Amino acid sequence: MTESFYFTMEATNGTPQTKAGDWSNYQRVLLPPIRDLHKLEVYEENGGYKALREVLANSDWEPSKVTDEVKASGLKGRGGAGFPTGLKWSFMPPVDPDIPRFLCCNGDESEPGTFKDRQLMEYNPHLIFEGCLIANYAMSIKTCYIYVRGEFADWITHMERELAKAYDKGYVGENIMGTGFSTDIVIHKGAGAYICGEETSLMESLEGKRAYPRIKPPFPAQRGIWGYPTTINNVETLACAPIIINRGGKWYAGIGAETHPGPVLYGISGHVNKPGVYEYPTGMLITDLLEVAGGMRGGKKLKALVPGGCSVPVLRAEMIDGVTMDADSLRTVGSMMGTGGMLFLDEDTDMVSFLRRVTHFYHHESCGQCTPCREGTGWLENLVTRIDEGEGNLRDLDLLLDLCDQMEGRTVCALADAAAWPVRNTINRFRDEFEAKCKPAVFATGGEVEAVVD
Amino acid sequence: MADFIKNPVVPLPDQDPEPQIPAEELVFTDAEKQQIAHWVTRYPTADGAVMRALWLAQEKFGFLPPEVVRLTAEELGIPYAQAYGVATFYTQYYKKKMGRHVLDVCTCFSCQVCGGYDILHYLEEKLGIHKGESTDDGLFTIQEVECLGACGSAPMLQVTNGPFVHNLTPAKVDQLIEDLKQGKTPPFVSVTLPQDEADLGGNRRSDAAAVEAYQTPPVSATVE
Repeated sequence: MTESFYFTMEATNGTPQTKAGDWSNYQRVLLPPIRDLHKLEVYEENGGYKALREVLANSDWEPSKVTDEVKASGLKGRGGAGFPTGLKWSFMPPVDPDIPRFLCCNGDESEPGTFKDRQLMEYNPHLIFEGCLIANYAMSIKTCYIYVRGEFADWITHMERELAKAYDKGYVGENIMGTGFSTDIVIHKGAGAYICGEETSLMESLEGKRAYPRIKPPFPAQRGIWGYPTTINNVETLACAPIIINRGGKWYAGIGAETHPGPVLYGISGHVNKPGVYEYPTGMLITDLLEVAGGMRGGKKLKALVPGGCSVPVLRAEMIDGVTMDADSLRTVGSMMGTGGMLFLDEDTDMVSFLRRVTHFYHHESCGQCTPCREGTGWLENLVTRIDEGEGNLRDLDLLLDLCDQMEGRTVCALADAAAWPVRNTINRFRDEFEAKCKPAVFATGGEVEAVVD
Repeated sequence: MADFIKNPVVPLPDQDPEPQIPAEELVFTDAEKQQIAHWVTRYPTADGAVMRALWLAQEKFGFLPPEVVRLTAEELGIPYAQAYGVATFYTQYYKKKMGRHVLDVCTCFSCQVCGGYDILHYLEEKLGIHKGESTDDGLFTIQEVECLGACGSAPMLQVTNGPFVHNLTPAKVDQLIEDLKQGKTPPFVSVTLPQDEADLGGNRRSDAAAVEAYQTPPVSATVE
């Protein structure tokens, strides 16, 4: 991968163009401004479970038509990878009455910088349940597990209370609304492991084992939980399903960026005046989002931005001009949309100690199954810590990059890649800061490691 | 190789340690057994309920020594080794006795750059212990934890796998410690969305015990 790849700027013809249209008048749909929307009666008053009733009662809505509508909406997964949701749903094998099928709603929101799903669970849990039920109908599934991380204990009690009300009202369970369709929702409580956000390890965790990721293929749609066909979607992704049914896939596809449409919950944190979760269409200019979040704290200058959770490559302040929050635009500057958890860093931030904490995170959260990740994340942390403490050599920087090469793509799941990307990109983009913390070298550095690799 | 086995880098855990919970207390009540049996019905096999059952055991006994894990495994009818693997894999299951209140201070990513370490060090100084240790009176344990998913309200901490305390300042930490000493656990705080300030007056829930808004993170004392 060439260096120039990372520094290609998107052509903006002078004026930055937002893809979000008239975003300042955007009407929120995932978290609409309605008080007590989490209560079932308020949710019902505001068109709740209408989409579910529509697909169940109206014989026009064949299960395959629901999937087609989601395909037409262009909805892409909001959990980080950005895989098209309709396509994922269509991977499920044909229905066989003897073989159970499962849906998993991934609420193991552990990616540092991401805190959007928690707000959705608190303020609009019935939208999540309705999304799960619609997905269950589209794929003829009888059981949906909502996997919520154990740290969200209060939100689990909150959701279970609301789920019990939905059961009582007959929206979930046997013979939903008298249509003959039956399905269950079970909330599963995790116990604090970042790796459970990875789909195959989430399945292992649900099965009551240590959360070691599995090798893919076979993909979850072929062999998922307990070996049965399974689909796994993020909380926010499933919450989009009722909106797509209510307003049509065409409407949804017209929101935000053309290739990556829909409303997104941007979790903005860091050195900004008004951090928090904001709902806007995709394709928002990063500069617009910074303005919405009140600008940088204390009038400081922006130094760096992590656009989608700690695994995605960091951007320098000068790289964000004209860049919009969608997969294509962020790819041109060598980053990713990730989960939409944006961290803004001001000019006082020490990027070396920032990276040190990120590597510590991955070392702590590596599940220990694959050697390149288990040992590699530890060495990443050791080397970055040494540099941060002023004991590092300039050669350590190239050693770190070489170590990243040894980790990426050599493990069962993508945690090793996710650990290597921030290291590689932070060093490449802030190399001067790292060099300033290293001990001065009396000989030329940088050539040796590469010579060995070639 | 032989030397490695004689002197393992990581000491092997004691396979059969002295029980820390007296044998007569080591039972589930009928209500707890019913609760576990209910969870088992939600999964195709009993294995799926192991995490919930371990949570229940931890709430009952305070932590999960091997004998408690064995009891849970026997209740579910799954191998002890599997339950032990689960109990030791996940960080929220306590393997050793903790203080009555465990303060999990988030220092990861957003919290780091918003002063999470200031709060951690302030707590360490205030309670006179290091992270990972418990106070002598057995009231408090401080832990440094990874991202808790409340990055917008950084710095924050979690009290004993329960309520979150958002937008921490030293004064707020003092108050929290005082409250905990008097046996008052912090209430569930609903953190409202910035976009609701204009529309809903900054409060989305009429039934929340406490409401807080996201705040500008404090400037870290260690940055200057």
